[in-house]
Amino acid sequence: MTAQAVQTDEHAVVIGLEVHVQLETATKIFCGCSTAADDDEEPNSRTCPVCLGLPGALPVLNEGAVEAAVKIGKALSADIPERTTFHRKNYYYPDLPKNFQLTQYDAPICQEGELEISVEGDRREIGITRAHLEEDPGSLQHKGGSIDTAEATLINYNRAGTPLVEIVTEPDFRSPAETRAFLAKLEEVLEYLGVFDATRDGSLRVDANISLVDADEVDEEGAIDDSVLEDANRTEVKNISSHKAAEKALAYEVSRQKNAVKRGRALKTETRHWDESRGITVSMRSKESEADYRYFREADLPPLEVADWKDKIDIPELPDARRERFVADYGLDSEAASKLTSTKEVADFFEAVAEQFDPNVAATWVADNLLGELNYRDMLITDIEGRLDEFSRLIELVENDELTVKNAEEVVLRSMLDDGDDPETIIDREGLGKADDDAIADFVVEAIDENPDAVDDYHSGEDGALNFLVGQVMQKSGGSADPGSVNQLLREELDA
Amino acid sequence: MSSDHTDAGDDAHNAFITEATIEGDDDGPLAGRTIAIKDNMSTDGVRTTCGSAMLDEYVPPYNATVVDRVLEAGATMVGKANMDEFAMGGTTETSAFGATENPAAPDRVPGGSSGGSAAAVAAGAADLALGSDTGGSVRNPASFCGVVGIKPTYGLVSRYGIVAYANSLEQVGPLANTVEDAALLLDVISGPDPNDATTNDGGADSGYAAAADGDVEGLTVGVITDLIEGADDDVVETFQASLDDLEAQGAEITEVSLDSLEHAVQAYYVIAMSEASSNLARFDGVRYGPDTDAEGNWNEQFAAVREAGFGPEVKRRILLGTYALSAGYHDKYYKKAQDARAWVKQDFDDAFEDVDVLASPTMPVVPPKLGESLDDPLQLYLMDANTVPVNLANLPAISVPAGDVDGLPVGCQLIGPKFSEETIIRAASAVED
Ligand SMILES: [Zn+2]
Repeated sequence: MTAQAVQTDEHAVVIGLEVHVQLETATKIFCGCSTAADDDEEPNSRTCPVCLGLPGALPVLNEGAVEAAVKIGKALSADIPERTTFHRKNYYYPDLPKNFQLTQYDAPICQEGELEISVEGDRREIGITRAHLEEDPGSLQHKGGSIDTAEATLINYNRAGTPLVEIVTEPDFRSPAETRAFLAKLEEVLEYLGVFDATRDGSLRVDANISLVDADEVDEEGAIDDSVLEDANRTEVKNISSHKAAEKALAYEVSRQKNAVKRGRALKTETRHWDESRGITVSMRSKESEADYRYFREADLPPLEVADWKDKIDIPELPDARRERFVADYGLDSEAASKLTSTKEVADFFEAVAEQFDPNVAATWVADNLLGELNYRDMLITDIEGRLDEFSRLIELVENDELTVKNAEEVVLRSMLDDGDDPETIIDREGLGKADDDAIADFVVEAIDENPDAVDDYHSGEDGALNFLVGQVMQKSGGSADPGSVNQLLREELDA
Repeated sequence: MSSDHTDAGDDAHNAFITEATIEGDDDGPLAGRTIAIKDNMSTDGVRTTCGSAMLDEYVPPYNATVVDRVLEAGATMVGKANMDEFAMGGTTETSAFGATENPAAPDRVPGGSSGGSAAAVAAGAADLALGSDTGGSVRNPASFCGVVGIKPTYGLVSRYGIVAYANSLEQVGPLANTVEDAALLLDVISGPDPNDATTNDGGADSGYAAAADGDVEGLTVGVITDLIEGADDDVVETFQASLDDLEAQGAEITEVSLDSLEHAVQAYYVIAMSEASSNLARFDGVRYGPDTDAEGNWNEQFAAVREAGFGPEVKRRILLGTYALSAGYHDKYYKKAQDARAWVKQDFDDAFEDVDVLASPTMPVVPPKLGESLDDPLQLYLMDANTVPVNLANLPAISVPAGDVDGLPVGCQLIGPKFSEETIIRAASAVED
């Protein structure tokens, strides 16, 4: 590690993360209920005896969730064991249908991985302790108040049984900015793997453990002795739901803790809640003792031999590798390569275009024109994935000199996105087909005949005269002429 | 299929908690037969209480797989059979719906926990019954009521829809008046179920009923001496007579000792109670349980419901199981019990290198009088000494009537290697002859 601890004063910050990710599978982890939540769905409508935890119902593991977890393990360079097992985590909470959660304990599906991040040019390797599969609980709705003041609390089990992967990192972060970079990177990787949908509400939930230690305890490599970490008072910050929120919440927590120390107050080991709207953390409870979850093996789920899955399951090229390849193979600059690999779908789209045209032409069209126009409309590349052909024809028309760049960008592409028409329809409708050479030659002669003053000015060396005449020709052609060649033709005619 | 409640039936032995009829299909191997279903098996639209006040009003919205299978095979359900509360007991006296009387031995317990199932068959209230066997809960009442009961290999029969007591140990098993009928019912309920990941192909294309042919020529039967030592002399004598009978029909009788069995009862109770403490956690008053006047926070509310809804034996087992899994005690109890379980399995595997089946009295005693044994849980637990090793080792076993002691039924237990149901059924049919 080449960590630079943040040593603004005598303290260094140590942070570890537990990241809960909802997996993008069609059905829940232990039953056949759908994971897709409709906006207007009735509470408890997407349930069955299994995810309701009805007496007698039994879990059956969804292989899609295993596949997703194996992909994550491979992407994080983690060890995937020969066999993996499930345990019960026993605790009483009203959102938990069985009052235990099916999770993994001593044989998680992924162990000892890593993810490289880059913060302000510094590359850092963040250690992944483990990643395991588990089921999401239901959700609580406090009617008429907060958890303390509500008249009644209602339970909705629609979310119960949604597959989760919990990714636990080593305490390798030395600043809030690093946690943000890590989470953004993790989301990008998960989306590349096709196992995660960031737009789904609650799809990413983060708990952070943060401690302050003496800066002296951090060695030159950024490493800290385990015993120092064990002795440090650890604060757990819950309710973080994005990479941006992680940086904000932890930055707040760092300054809160440093201020406390400065004023001579001891730091407690406690759990705090990130209040996004107020931008502060609030103490939930102090942890006198660790909760005892009485873990034991779930006999209803036989051990799963994952050894053969490892070889069977392939993962796509990951964003970092793809960026590097775009620079090396297509000769793109790193900024364009980054834009074009921002999501797997954008990268796939670009490569499909680059197969047909010069890669730099393809890069300009996708990175500058298309992404810009999509972004302006709050659209995603996935909205036009099926229209790759139309987009290619648009570029081809320009490349073949049948449409001007200006018309292609400002009229045709915009109308394609706004109205959903294909390029030919738009060109016909707007009369944008490039005029043929004979017609333009006629327009040139007309323009000269109709504007004798401008012709005189040209001959007396006045700069603006030629531009004026070009404008006249362009107007006659309805913008379909190429200004460069009009300029050329005018000179030839006037100088003859 | 239709369902109607007929609570006014003539249930002299209190074998049923709910008398309700669900008609099965018109034809099938069980057409024309009536069946009692233990009340821990989910029946769509018919309340399923598990013998507990906690589930007094619980009506499942689905059928257990075994219920679907017996109905599709043509059987007609006549009622939900009485049982010890959450299957915790060996006498059916812990039921919140009153004890069941033993039809074969008036004023005596029918055994348990599937006491209502065995009593229904013994009294002729049903031709067949389904019970569940976690530590002997099918074989014990079969023995005490003088009927046949089978505990299948773990994974042979689906547990989907069976309210769990100790899910690593239990199996659904058939009860009937004859070995052949019990075997026929096993043919119907066995086989893989996509809703139970622990089931396997062991019971697919089975021919258990056909195996009840009484042919034991050349079969080696090992008597487990460790399970003879703790049994009453009269019981041993009756058991011995059935062995002589087998020998006369061509079987070879030998003796076998399994050292691990001395720890089996302790290991069984630690594992069963630990699993139970977790399986019963869901009964927290949110969706199940009696109304209470309790005010206060979530902890206080659900504690009040559990206080009111569970009987004393259930509370005892939940508390002990919670303790055995707790940090600091987990290794001393739960882990040690798992080690003992592995040792028991190994002992059985070794024994089956030399013999085809193992034999013992099913119960070390004759059925106790009603009310006689409830006060001393430890004595009750020791009554399970002969049946629990089979569950620890995931093996199949059958209890078949061996005779009686002064009119009180005695059962002979025959145990086989995994998926050797046909062998133990064949041997049991020879005992029965
Ligand atoms: Zn479900």
